[in-house]
Amino acid sequence: METRFDELKRYVRFTDDDAHRLSVLRAVAAPHFQQIAQEFYERIREHEDANAVLTGEEQVARLQRSLVVWLERLLSGRYDERYFEQTQQIGRVHVKVGLPQRYMFTAMSVIRASLTAIASAAAQADPKADAREALSRILDLELAIMVEGYREDMIARVKHVAETEREVLSKRALRAEQRYVNAVELADAMMIALSADGKVLLFNKQAERVTGYARDEALGRDLAELVLPPELQEVQKDVFRRGTNGAAPTIELPLRTRAGKIREARWRVLPLPAAAVPNATDDDVELFAMGYDVTDERAERQRAQQQERLAAVGTLAAGLAHEIRNPLNGAQLHVSFLERALKKTPANDEALEAVGIVRDEIKRLARLVTDFLDFARPRPLTPIETSVVTLCQRVMQLVSPHATGSVVLRLDLPTTDIHLSADKDRLEQVFLNLLQNAIEAVVPKGGTVVLRARRQPRHAWIEVEDDGPGLPPGNAPVFDAFFSTKPNGTGLGLAIAHRVVTDHGGTIDVNSKPGETRFRVVLPLSIQGAAE
Amino acid sequence: MKLTNGRRPLILLVEDDVCAARGLARMLHDDGFDVERASDGAAAMVRLGQTPLPDALITDLYVPHVDGLTVARFARTQNPSIPAIVVTSHVELVNTRSEPMMPAPTVLAKPLDYDHLTEVLHALLPRRAA
Repeated sequence: METRFDELKRYVRFTDDDAHRLSVLRAVAAPHFQQIAQEFYERIREHEDANAVLTGEEQVARLQRSLVVWLERLLSGRYDERYFEQTQQIGRVHVKVGLPQRYMFTAMSVIRASLTAIASAAAQADPKADAREALSRILDLELAIMVEGYREDMIARVKHVAETEREVLSKRALRAEQRYVNAVELADAMMIALSADGKVLLFNKQAERVTGYARDEALGRDLAELVLPPELQEVQKDVFRRGTNGAAPTIELPLRTRAGKIREARWRVLPLPAAAVPNATDDDVELFAMGYDVTDERAERQRAQQQERLAAVGTLAAGLAHEIRNPLNGAQLHVSFLERALKKTPANDEALEAVGIVRDEIKRLARLVTDFLDFARPRPLTPIETSVVTLCQRVMQLVSPHATGSVVLRLDLPTTDIHLSADKDRLEQVFLNLLQNAIEAVVPKGGTVVLRARRQPRHAWIEVEDDGPGLPPGNAPVFDAFFSTKPNGTGLGLAIAHRVVTDHGGTIDVNSKPGETRFRVVLPLSIQGAAE
Repeated sequence: MKLTNGRRPLILLVEDDVCAARGLARMLHDDGFDVERASDGAAAMVRLGQTPLPDALITDLYVPHVDGLTVARFARTQNPSIPAIVVTSHVELVNTRSEPMMPAPTVLAKPLDYDHLTEVLHALLPRRAA
C-alpha cells in the first residue's frame, strides 16, 4: 500500500535520481551549513512574532545545531518512512512552540535561497549533477509534511473549542431554566401547568401552600377534581380545560384544600399559544392555570367596608347630636325661665311639677345623645395590661342578674391566664353586649351561654356561644349600625363591639346555625401597630 | 351682682338662636347682669371694638361669619383677662381645635345648665365682697 510519503513524492515526481543528486549536493553544501543556520536565525530575530519562540542565546545555539542536522538529513539521499516521521515530528515541534504558520513558508524560503545558490554554483561546475529541481521538490515535501502539523493542531483546537462552547451553552441553558424555576417557585400565585385534558403537569410552591397538596400528590391528577368542592366539580369541570377559556377571563371559585377547608381563589386559565405546542401530545403543557388565594383579601375588604360604614355612622351621629342639642338648649333655657316664673307665683304646684318633668326629660334626652356619641364616635384607646380571666369573670358577674329562669351561664377559661394590652373598659362593653345578646336569645326557651377564652401564639380569642335559635339565615349584616333582630334593639350593640375590637387590631366573626351561635373575638396580645 | 367698681357686670352674649338668647338674657338680667346681644360673630367683633368693653363674653361656638373661638380670641386682644365662655354641642371639638389661649376659655356643653352657667360667671368675675 502506498504511504502518505510515497503519495506525496509521486505527486512532485520525486525520484531516486533526485535522491542521488541531493546526496551529491550535500558534499558541496555541507561546509556552508553553519552559516546558513546562522543567517536563518538572524532572519527570525527580525520578526517579532517569529522571535517570540526564541528564549535565549543558549537555545539559539542549540537550534542552530539542530538546523545543521536537519540540513544534513535533507541532503542525506535517504528518503524513507523514517525520514517522513522525523519531518512530521519537526513540524509538530514548531506547532508546539507556537511559531505562526506563515513563518514556516518564509523560513523555508530563506533555506531555499541559500541552498539554491549553492546548487546553482555546483550546476555550473557540473551540469549533469544539477540538483536544483530535486532541491525544490524535497523542500516542498518538507513543507507539506510540516504544515500538516498545523492542520492536526487546528482540528484539535476546533474540537476543544466546540466542546467548551457546548459546555458553556448547556450550563447557560441550565441556569436560564433554573431562573425560570425560581421565578415560578417564588411567585405568590399558584402556577399550575395543565395538559389538554386538565391533568396537572406542574405545581409550584404557592399551589402547594394554598391547596395543602404536595407536588407529587398533585401531579397527574385532574385539577378540577383536586381543588374544587365536590358540588362544583360537575358544573365547573371545564374550567381547567382548553377551549372553554379563549379570552382567559378571571373566575372566582371556592377552593377545597387537602384538609377540607374552603378558601376563595381567583383563577385565570391561559392557553399556551399554538406555536408553543407544535406537536402536542397528551403529556404536553397546553394551558396554565394561575390562581390567587383571595380569602384574606376578601375578608379584609369586608372589614374595610365595615369600618367605612361605621365611620359614616360616627359622622352622622355627630351631626345628629348637634342638631338635637341646639333645640334642646333653647328648650332647657326656657324651661328654666318658666320654672323660675312659676316659683314666684304661689299655689302652682301642679304646673311646677309638670315643668320639672319637662326639665328632667330634656336632661335625659341630652344624656342619651351624649352616650350615643360616646359609642358611635371613635375615641383613642387607652390600653393597659388586661387579664383575660379577670375580664371574663367580671363581665359574667355583671350579666348574671339578667340570666333569669332556665338560662345557664358557663365560664370556660384557660388554666393559665392570658394578658393583653387592651382598653379594658371598652372590651368589657364588647363582651357585655355579646353576652346580653346571647342571654336574650336563649331566655324564651331556656338554654346555655358559654364565655370561652383561649390563647393562640400571638392572639387571644374569646368567644360567646349560645344554643338559641340562631341568627336569621343568610349574611345578615349583624355588625352594621342600626341593624337589629330585636324589637327594642338600637342596632348599635354589635356595631360598637365591632368598632372596639377592630380598634384593638382584632377581628370579630360570627358563626350561626339554629342551636349554635358563636361570636368569636380575636385580639392581638399586644396592641402595637393595631392602633392608628 | 355687683362688680368691685360697684357696677352691674356687662355681658356680651353671642348667639344666633334668637329664642334661646332671649330666654337666657332675661334670666341673666333678673340675676343682676346687664346683657348685650349679638347674633353673629362679626357683629360681636364690631361691638368688642367699642366702649364700654363688656366684662364677660358668652358665645356659641357656631355662629355666622366668625366662630365663637375667634370672637373670644379677639375679645382677649381688647382685654387680656376677659372671662370667655364658649357654649357648644361639641365639647370635644373645641378642645382639639382651639389653639392655646391663656387663660383658656370655659367650655360649656349644650343644652346649657343655667345654674351652672351663673356659678361659672360668679367664679370668673371680680366680684365685690358682699
